[in-house]
Amino acid sequence: MSSAPYNYNYIFKYIIIGDMGVGKSCLLHQFTEKKFMANCPHTIGVEFGTRIIEVDDKKIKLQIWDTAGQERFRAVTRSYYRGAAGALMVYDITRRSTYNHLSSWLTDTRNLTNPNTVIFLIGNKSDLESTREVTYEEAKEFADENGLMFLEASAMSGQNVEEAFLETARKIYQNIQEGRLDLNASESGVQHRPSQPGRTSLTNEAPNTKDQCSC
Amino acid sequence: MNTDPAMTSKSTTLSSLNSIPTISAAVSSSGLLGSVASDNDMRDGEISLNTIEIVQRKFKDNEKVLSIFEAYQIIGQEHRSRLLALVVSVAGGTYAVFSLATARLPPRNVNDLSIDKIFALNETFQIGSDKKGSISQLQFDLKTADEAAVKYFYYPIISAEGASDFETFHAQIISAKFSMTHSTAATESILSYSWLNDYRQIGEVKQELKRRENEYIVFKDFIVYCGTWNVNNKPYSDSPLHLWLSNGEQPADIYAIALQELDTSAKAITFSENRPDPMWISKMLSSLHKDGEYEELTSVRLVGMMLTIIIRKQLRPYIARCRVKTVARGVFNTLGNKGGVAVSIQLNEGNLCFVNSHLAAHMAFVEARNEDYAGIVRGLVFDDDLKRTINDHDHIFWIGDLNYRIEEPPGLQLPCNRASPNAYDVLMKYDQLRIEMGKGNCFDGYSEGRIKFRPTYKYDVGTDNFDSSEKQRAPAYCDRVLWKGVRIEQLAYNSIMEIRQSDHKPVYAIFRVKIKTKDEKRYKRIHEEVLKLVDKRENENQPQISVDKTVLDFGVVRFNELSVCDFTVSNNCPMPVEFMFKVKDPPLNDICEKWLQVEPRAETLMTDSTKRVRVKLLADVRSITGLLKKIRTTNWKFDFDILILHVKNGPDMFLTVTGEYKPSCFGLSVETLCRTNQPLNTYTQAQVKDLMNDDSPEFRVTMPREFFFLIDYLHKQGNKVEGAFETLEYKHARSLQFNVIRDWLDTWSSEEFPGTPQAAAEALLMLLDLPEKPLLDPFVEDLLQTNTAAEAMELISLLSSPRRNVFVHLCMFLRQGIERQYYNLQHVASVFGRILLRSTAHAGRDFYRETRCRDFMHRFISSDIGGTLSTGIADSSGISGVGGGANGGSSNGGGGGDGSNTARINAIN
Ligand SMILES: Nc1nc2c(ncn2[C@@H]2O[C@H](COP(=O)(O)OP(=O)(O)OP(=O)(O)O)[C@@H](O)[C@H]2O)c(=O)[nH]1
Ligand SMILES: [Mg+2]
Repeated sequence: MSSAPYNYNYIFKYIIIGDMGVGKSCLLHQFTEKKFMANCPHTIGVEFGTRIIEVDDKKIKLQIWDTAGQERFRAVTRSYYRGAAGALMVYDITRRSTYNHLSSWLTDTRNLTNPNTVIFLIGNKSDLESTREVTYEEAKEFADENGLMFLEASAMSGQNVEEAFLETARKIYQNIQEGRLDLNASESGVQHRPSQPGRTSLTNEAPNTKDQCSC
Repeated sequence: MNTDPAMTSKSTTLSSLNSIPTISAAVSSSGLLGSVASDNDMRDGEISLNTIEIVQRKFKDNEKVLSIFEAYQIIGQEHRSRLLALVVSVAGGTYAVFSLATARLPPRNVNDLSIDKIFALNETFQIGSDKKGSISQLQFDLKTADEAAVKYFYYPIISAEGASDFETFHAQIISAKFSMTHSTAATESILSYSWLNDYRQIGEVKQELKRRENEYIVFKDFIVYCGTWNVNNKPYSDSPLHLWLSNGEQPADIYAIALQELDTSAKAITFSENRPDPMWISKMLSSLHKDGEYEELTSVRLVGMMLTIIIRKQLRPYIARCRVKTVARGVFNTLGNKGGVAVSIQLNEGNLCFVNSHLAAHMAFVEARNEDYAGIVRGLVFDDDLKRTINDHDHIFWIGDLNYRIEEPPGLQLPCNRASPNAYDVLMKYDQLRIEMGKGNCFDGYSEGRIKFRPTYKYDVGTDNFDSSEKQRAPAYCDRVLWKGVRIEQLAYNSIMEIRQSDHKPVYAIFRVKIKTKDEKRYKRIHEEVLKLVDKRENENQPQISVDKTVLDFGVVRFNELSVCDFTVSNNCPMPVEFMFKVKDPPLNDICEKWLQVEPRAETLMTDSTKRVRVKLLADVRSITGLLKKIRTTNWKFDFDILILHVKNGPDMFLTVTGEYKPSCFGLSVETLCRTNQPLNTYTQAQVKDLMNDDSPEFRVTMPREFFFLIDYLHKQGNKVEGAFETLEYKHARSLQFNVIRDWLDTWSSEEFPGTPQAAAEALLMLLDLPEKPLLDPFVEDLLQTNTAAEAMELISLLSSPRRNVFVHLCMFLRQGIERQYYNLQHVASVFGRILLRSTAHAGRDFYRETRCRDFMHRFISSDIGGTLSTGIADSSGISGVGGGANGGSSNGGGGGDGSNTARINAIN
């Protein structure tokens, strides 16, 4: 096996935002550990988790910042938006108020991130169908109106969790491919880790080629 | 060199498909280099970099290699060369020493280097050798808390270009460490070593994949066909090679075809002929097993010896590495008439080595042959990432004219052509090779199949008859195929009697080799798992701290009173943790608000240790303005602040500083004060917030009572006011006694004023100075443009009534005091000018502006223009005093409406 200088080609920074108790930490935990945390304490600060994923044969390290949703921390958490390549905006489908607050979360996100930041709306707790207060259709409409990607997910069952995180990465990656993201700008939220000159990287351009025969 | 145009074009197509360099190109570069002097040849197209530049390529742009040092480690019996590099991360402001394993010294490109160890130059870093930490001759240890001590040795001479000598390197490390630990960054504990993680992780994934190899490695069968023939300088065209090369039930996957005495002319020997012979190769290619499609992988030649590796076409993408090497053992060990040529390849995950050797001839020269063998083993070091030797391969095939003879036992009868196999076993007892191997003198660890064929040497050319010439050379098994390594099974071993062009008969052996192969599916899965594990480890190994509380409740907070709240930070994770409070975004640019003090601001905590952090809260003259502004503007329940406790490479924790501010008159605007109908101490924080945000023009009183009380008191002191209104220093506020005055004001006390006239004067200045906006807001700048009091009065009349009333009242009071010479006109004008016309734009002092402020005040308080004030006021507005009744706190607020009351400004006269 040849050695790439890194285990990954890119680092993407994500933030997860939304009202308290909507399940931000659980979503992160489900994504990184594939487990559901039933008694998750409120986040009092900002925690982060990482996971290396693959998009288009590129290894991407996601660095995900999970923020506190409590209103009193709102001013402080704003300072974490800067430089996010992806923002996962979460509401709880069983609590209408968390949905109603989305526009204020969206305003913050738009004001504090760069125009290419991919915003993914997640309607969490889709397993609690019986106590649903927000329909899929109205949320979908809200997402479409605002140009957001959208899925309903459940941190408990794991449904669509993987998809939401990966879709966001794919979209960011696509933005890079299409030249919409300036990788040199620190606010892009993306760091490129090029393999070094003359070196075969772990994830090759052409996936099937073996190492070069250097005889 | 391969000149067959068909071959070239075929390999080109292949290479364009798979981005593998063409085989002919491969042959032309290394085939040519496979000569005696091949080792230090230039590579075309490679820019020559000095060693430090090559090392630099291992790192990112903002990581600079400052210095390199050549060392070696002794591992087991072996010396392993290492390059130590002192690297600084410009971003992190930190240094580390990287130990790089080098495939060769000096390295030629970045691929020759692999990171072996990383020593962060943190406080645990040590360089030394004996217990005293000094350096002894030519060796030293490196060690840090997370990297166990490693002993390095070094030679007194330097070979790599740009490398330092030890003293220099050592001094650079020491000074880097020193400069780092004494930098401002270090004192604020913000040194970051996180950049090193990028390099550490690589190791982890690799190691982990290696450790789990058995989970994705399967063994795949490959047929390896080895042939050897001493061709005795005969041209290729004579030989029916297919008799020799197309044996076996199934087509071989790999052919290793060894020829000797291809050209033993003096010319070839002298010029170390090393161009593979294309005619022979194409002859071979056309003589292989009919059921396989083949291509040449590589050939390597040294004078008479040539080794050609031919593979089935479909194997090409699975050949990951292919290197050749030659070792000359002829006269003076430099001429290539004897020696060995070899090829090293990696097929899937298996490493195979093929050696073709021609050892010293003649019956008596057994020892010379043994030495040749040893010399080849020593000399054969492939130019690959690991500098593999023959023994660094999983499967080794040693083929060639080894030239070992049969000791001639008297009367031994050579078996005839069709003799039973057992007949040859008798001969083997006298075979020098077997005897020497038995003694452990050569070919240690090699195996050979049972020989069931006649000696392959020496025949009369064109016949199957042993040498009938004068020399009558004894028949011998010169031509052999040996193997060493795991999972090799011999399927056939024979000679070809029917090929009669040479005095040797060709020999072949067929093997089934089980070669390590990655099961791609399983590998992908395990690779994913390993990455996940690394993620998990990274997530779990995040440094963590805990705090005993996240809410720092200060309880009741009062103006000008210090409160203290402590909390404890503990490190219960297995590594030292650095924590620090995060500096917040502008405009704050500090870790906390002005009314807070935090001590310490950063600290390193060892495992299982704790640290008490003290937070002090003081809302005093410095900070009350900001605090009240924040109370007024925070739309959420007011917190005094939220501290961000940052753990280096870990999470951030929010610590909420909270409490209940007990309102006081200090810092509140005159409007707010005019809206109160009770003493301020009866209000809650929330009520005062509402009052502050109330912007109706309704006021309970025309002028705040607190002003009235103070002015009234001072007025009554007559000339006992020495020193009042002279500076803006607020010295009285620093004493506890001042808080009694605060309470006296905040309770509308009817007691005697509990302080000195000087303290009362200071309190009055504070009442005017601490609100967010100056008294003459919003006309400050306009007023400064005016040149006469009359002109100014027009603007003054537009102020809110409480502001206007306070201003007028104050001026009357001051003017009178100045007239009576209780106060110094210049001081008063200067002090009040600065307060009442305070600039809200810039904080610093502006002396020109101060002069204008003073002049402005001057106009209002110097006695010569006495008339202006009362006239101006009487015309435009009524001043409803708080009633003549001195401290009768309950005195009415009057009807509040402007103009409905008569001016009572003279009340104080
Ligand atoms: N049924 C169900 N419960 C969930 C789901 N996701 C989270 N929860 C629960 O919702 C509660 C809040 O989840 P958290 O992940 O702590 O919410 P949060 O958004 O991180 O909240 P803050 O940290 O306070 O901002 C927890 O009790 C979870 O067990 C879900 O998908 N389904
Ligand atoms: Mg949370």
